Amino acid sequence: MPGLSRRHFLQTVAGLGAATLSGCQGLPRLASSKAHVVVVGGGFGGATAAKTMRLLDPTIQVTLIEPKARYITCPGSNWLFAGLTDLDKLTVDYQALQARYGVKLLADSVADLDAVKRQVRLTGGQTIGYDRLIMSPGIDFKWDAIAGYDKAAAQQFPHAWQAGPQTLLLAKQLQSMRDGGVLIMTVPADPYRCPPGPYERASMMAYWLKQHNPRAKIIILDAKRSFSKQALFEAGWTKHYGYGSSNSLIEWHSLADNPLLELDKKNQQLISEFGDRFQGDVLNIIPPQTAASIALQSGLADAGGWCPVQPLSGQSLFDEYIHIIGDAAHYAPIPKSAFAANSEAKACALAVINLLNQKPLAEPHWLNTCYSLITPQHGVSVAGVYRLDAAQTIVAVKGAGGVSIASGAETELLEADYTRVVYQQLVANSFA
Amino acid sequence: MRLVFFVAMLFVSLFVPVIGAELDAASIALNCLTCHNDTGKTSAIPPLNKLSALQMQQTLLDFKYDKKPATLMRRLAKGYSDAELAALAEYLSRR
Repeated sequence: MPGLSRRHFLQTVAGLGAATLSGCQGLPRLASSKAHVVVVGGGFGGATAAKTMRLLDPTIQVTLIEPKARYITCPGSNWLFAGLTDLDKLTVDYQALQARYGVKLLADSVADLDAVKRQVRLTGGQTIGYDRLIMSPGIDFKWDAIAGYDKAAAQQFPHAWQAGPQTLLLAKQLQSMRDGGVLIMTVPADPYRCPPGPYERASMMAYWLKQHNPRAKIIILDAKRSFSKQALFEAGWTKHYGYGSSNSLIEWHSLADNPLLELDKKNQQLISEFGDRFQGDVLNIIPPQTAASIALQSGLADAGGWCPVQPLSGQSLFDEYIHIIGDAAHYAPIPKSAFAANSEAKACALAVINLLNQKPLAEPHWLNTCYSLITPQHGVSVAGVYRLDAAQTIVAVKGAGGVSIASGAETELLEADYTRVVYQQLVANSFA
Repeated sequence: MRLVFFVAMLFVSLFVPVIGAELDAASIALNCLTCHNDTGKTSAIPPLNKLSALQMQQTLLDFKYDKKPATLMRRLAKGYSDAELAALAEYLSRR
C-alpha cells in the first residue's frame, strides 16, 4: 500500500470501530487524489465498500451514488410484524460516511453506463468518470412471473421484500385481517434475497396472531422443496405455534411440482399449474427476483438475471473495470444477505485498492452469519465461512459454519439476543 | 510467542505466496469486526482490543476445538487453519 505506513494501515483497519475515527478526519481532498472509485447503491454492500475504501486508502476518492437520503434496512424489518420495531428504528442515513470517512455522496440515480469511456451518466444529467466502478444495486422483481402480479398489484398484495411502505402495508393488512382469516405467503425458487427471510416473517406474523387473532392461519406456498434452517424453524413452530397440528398458525407447502402461475385479483386467489386455487384474506406475494434493472440494462447480468463475477476481485466477467457485490452479484454458494454483502464489499474494496496500487491481490475471505427470530425469546442462526478453492471457485469451508449447535431455552434466548445485537453491529459497521 | 507467530506466518505464507500474511489476516479481520465493532456499546459481543495476541490465539483455538462454549464462534473458528488463527490473533492484537 504505497503512501500508507504499516502503522497507518493497521490504525485504519482498527478504525472500523469509532475509536480512531478522529484519525480519519482531515483526509486529503480531491486535488491529491490518485484515483476515483464510484460506488453505485447505498445499501449494505455499497455503504461498506465506500467506507472500507476510504478507511484503507484515504488517497482514493470515493463517490457514492444513491438517490435516497435514508435507507430502511431489510434485515430487522420482519420484526415489525410482531410489533417489535418500527421503520424509524430500521432507518439509517449517510451522514457518517460523508463526515467521518470523506465519502462524497451524490443524491441521484444512474441512467446508464459508458463502459468504454468509464463514465456513469446520472438521471439528473451529470456525467461522472471512474477509474473503477463498484456496483451494489440490489434487486428488482420479475413482475408477471405470476401472471397479473405487477407493480400496481403490489399496492394491493404487498411483497414487502424491500423494506419501507410495503412493510407497513403488509403489517396493516395482517393486523386488520378478519377473525380466523388466512394469510398466504408465496416464496420463490432460489436464488433470492435473504433465503430464511420468509420463514422468519411467518414466525413474526404468527407471534402477533397468537396474541390477537389465534384462529387465523398463515399458509406458505413455496416454490422450493426445502428451505434455509428448516429443521430449526419447524421445531420452533411446533414449540410455539402448534405446527403440524390441525390448528397450527403456520402451514408450509412445497409447490415445486405445481408452480403458481396466475393471480386472480378479484377473488384474491393464486392459481397453480394444476389449476388449484388458493384463496387468502391477505396475499403476501414474494416474487422471483433478478439483479437490479441498471445491472441488466448495462449488460452485466447473465441469462439467469444475476451478475457473474470473478470472486477473487469481484470484477464483472463482462467488464474488468466494473466490480459487482451484494444481492445483484452471483457469489454462490454465499447466500444473498446483508451480512454477506458487507463481507463481499470488504473483499472487493481490498481488491480494488490493490489493483489501483498495482499490487498483487490478497486471498479473499468471506463470512456470512444470519440470525432469525422465531419468537422474541427464540433465535436461530446459520453461518458460513467461504474462500476460494484451487480452481478459484467459492466454496464453503467443510466442517465450519452450519446451523445453531445446541437447542434448549438457554441457547434460544442467547441467540435471540445475538439476533438483535448482531443486527445493530452490522448496521454500525456498514453505515457508521 | 514470537516463535509461534513466526512459524504461523511461515505457514500462512505457503498458502498465500503472492501477498504475505499481513493483508491476508486483514482480510479475515475485517469480517471479525463486523460484529466485534470495538465500540464498547454492547456487552453481548466482546470487543477484540482487550486480549493479548496469545490470549486471543488460545481463545480462537479453544473455539475451534470445542473446548470453549459458544453459540456461534465454534462454527466460525473451524473455517481457518491454526496458523491463520495465530496470524489473525497477532494482527488483531496489534491494532
